[in-house]
Parts: sequence; structure tokens; C-alpha cells
Amino acid sequence: MPYSFTVNGKQAASSAPGLTPLISVLRDELGLRGAKLACGEGRCGACTVLVDGRPVASCLYPLANADSAAVRTVEGLAAPGGPLTPVQDALLSSGGVQCGACIPGIVMTLTALLESATELDDASVREELAGNICRCTGYQKIIDATLRASGARSGGGQA
Amino acid sequence: MSDALGYVRPVTTLTEAVAALAGLGDEGAALAGGTWVMRTAQRDGQRGPSGSIPDLRRYVALKWIPELGGYTATDEGINVGALLTHAELAGIDGGPAYACIRDAARKSAFPQVRNVATIGGNIAATGFAEADLIPALLAAQARLELAGPSGTVTVPIEEYLPERARRPYGELITRIHVPAPDGRSSAFERLTVRAAGEYPIVNVAVSVDTVSGVVTTARIAVGSVEPVARLCPDAAAQLVGRRAGDAAAATAAGEAAAAELNARESLDSPGWYRLAVLPPLLRRAVARIPATP
Repeated sequence: MPYSFTVNGKQAASSAPGLTPLISVLRDELGLRGAKLACGEGRCGACTVLVDGRPVASCLYPLANADSAAVRTVEGLAAPGGPLTPVQDALLSSGGVQCGACIPGIVMTLTALLESATELDDASVREELAGNICRCTGYQKIIDATLRASGARSGGGQA
Repeated sequence: MSDALGYVRPVTTLTEAVAALAGLGDEGAALAGGTWVMRTAQRDGQRGPSGSIPDLRRYVALKWIPELGGYTATDEGINVGALLTHAELAGIDGGPAYACIRDAARKSAFPQVRNVATIGGNIAATGFAEADLIPALLAAQARLELAGPSGTVTVPIEEYLPERARRPYGELITRIHVPAPDGRSSAFERLTVRAAGEYPIVNVAVSVDTVSGVVTTARIAVGSVEPVARLCPDAAAQLVGRRAGDAAAATAAGEAAAAELNARESLDSPGWYRLAVLPPLLRRAVARIPATP
């Protein structure tokens, strides 16, 4: 019996073996290439997606445990041609995106953070980003963008 | 059993899980969050670059077994289900006896792993010298409830760790009990090269029982130095009879701990370095023990 779950609100299923990493199903079966398989052992965060609202390393997440779950990826944030989310918009305008390889994972970590946290500061954003490595080392602009997006959110509109 | 390699069998009751694992014998293993199982397979080269099936065993998925979830807190202590994640453990306000476990859970790894990796998986994982919860559970005198084909037993964690590989097939860690007697407080520290997000060079947990601010019994546990975290009784003895948080006693305990451990060599750190940083790390932990719990 295939595993079934939702991805970005749409029903999805996979008949791959239960120990298949979720990232492989997302990229190779469902064509969602935003999340990246980089280190492949849960250290770099490029494969970060949300499972039931929480950031996970999808390279270490067995497909079997995604059954009945709600998975969100970077593709689900903004519709093609539609407006970006506040954090995507702030990353763009703050120069937070350099080579871009880490950004789909970082955006998902930050999306969960902005959806759950009430007050953010530099230290709390850094702590939350401990599992996302940016090899361009552009962390400060990413943190600045997050704080800007959090301000935009509490102000009720986009920056 | 006809389960294919890489197959994961979902079960919804403890009885089913025990029966399935007993039937699979040495070909079977329990799957909780899966972080260690998946990473170990990757490290062992069992997985291709695009992410094929990562392991050669047959797994029984525990995620949907309600008896393994939730926690209760009473005057006697905290009882947590084996499926609680590090993030969930970090969110429990369990008082000073539990503080070392909460801090180990809070500081371990990073959000993507803390949201998934479970306490039961951390205890069951072998070849994982750096696991942060283990020294905390040792210092806190945690007891493990185990369900197996011949019934349920309760075993102190320090007895369970060395005999993990020899336990009967089908046996599962179901719950973890952390006692909270009056006058007990605890602390945890870890040292990493980067500020966060990696395995510790050393991790250490301290738990003391005090009467009128004086330590009557103490436990110190150190991880990441030897292949499996363990209690350091010579070090703990240095704290007894002294005031909680006493700096001179902490220094003596650090030296005693370094003397009673055999440090492992690995790429991230030579053994001598682990032993050199252990005493100051232990001093930091002791300094965080409140004078009165």
C-alpha cells in the first residue's frame, strides 16, 4: 500500500520503500526540486522542509514516517507569479540570497520560526539557523531579513 | 517473514511491535524518528547519491503507537514516552532534578534534528558516543521501562547501556522515568568547536542531592570521551560533603573525571584534548547548580 500524505496542501502518494529519504520522493517522484540534497546526512539543512509545521532534515526523514503528514516545501510558499511571502521578499530586498543553494532550506526554517515565534532578536534567529549552513557565509543579511520580515508581519503588511 | 529489504512495517500497538520485532530477530530493528538509522546508513556507504534505500534491515515503525508518547509529571518525577523528541523534552518544565535533561535536549544538534530525534532512539542508538541525552539520563538516575515478549521490566539506564546488544529480540524502550526527590538539582554542559549545530567534543551532566545546601550524594556522567557515556564515581565523590556549586570541589571533580576515563581518538578530536577540556566544562556545569534547589 503506498504511503500517502499532502505536499503543499495537495494529496500525494509514493510506493517507494519506507526507508527512502523524503527528499528523494519530493525531488525525483514529485518533481519538487527546491529542497537540495547536499550533505545527505543531516548537517547542512539544504534539504529542510516542514513536516506537520516543524522543520526537518528531509534527507534523514524516512518516507514511512511521512505517511498521513502535511509536508510543506519552498514551492508551496508563493504561487507562480504571485506575491512572495514576507520572509522571501525580505531576503530578496536585503541581499540575503547569494548563490542560492541553501536558501530553499533556510526559507523553510525561517517560515516555521516566523509562524511560531512572537518576539525575535538577532540571537534567537541565529539559534534557529544553527542547522542551515550558508557556504557564501551570508548569515548577517539573512538574519537582518528575518528580523525585517518579522516586523512586517507584526505590522500586518509586507515590507 | 516476507518483508522486503528497506521495507518499514507500520504498527499501531505495542503488542504488535513487540511481536513483529521478535519475529524478525536479528534482521529487524525499531524505527522511531529515524535520524540515526538514516545517517548511519549514509556514513556506511549503503546509499547512493540520489538517495536510494539506506539500510539492509527490516524496520518496524513506532510512530503510531500511543503508549510511547506523552509525559506525566508528579511529585515523584517525570515519566516520558520513548517517542518524545528532543524539542518536546526541551519544552517540559520538569524542575531542578530534570534540568540536565532539558538542557541536553535543548542544546543538542539543531532544530531540524531536535524536531525528529527521539529519547528512545538516543538511548538505543549504538556507535553514538556523542549522544547528549545519555550523560544527562545517567546523572539523573533514569529508569527505563522495557516491553518485551516475556513482559515488562524496569532497568536503570546505566545497566541497560552496556548490555543493549544482548537484550532479547522484540524488546522495546517504552517509557523513561526520571526521579525528582526533594533537594535534587542538576546541570548539563557541552563543548563544540562551532557555537552550535555539531557533535560535542565532551558533554557532561551533574546531579546532586543536598541537605541545607550541602551535597549528600552526587552523580557525574561524561559523554563523547569513551565510546559510551558513563558515570564517573571518583569525580562525583569529590562533590560530597561540600556546598552545592563549590568551585574547589568542582576543580577536584574535573581532575578526578579526567583520570578515570580512557579518551577515544577520532578525527574531530584527539583523546588528550577531550580530557584537557573536561575539567573546565565540569566546573561550568557545577557552577550552574543552584545553592538551594
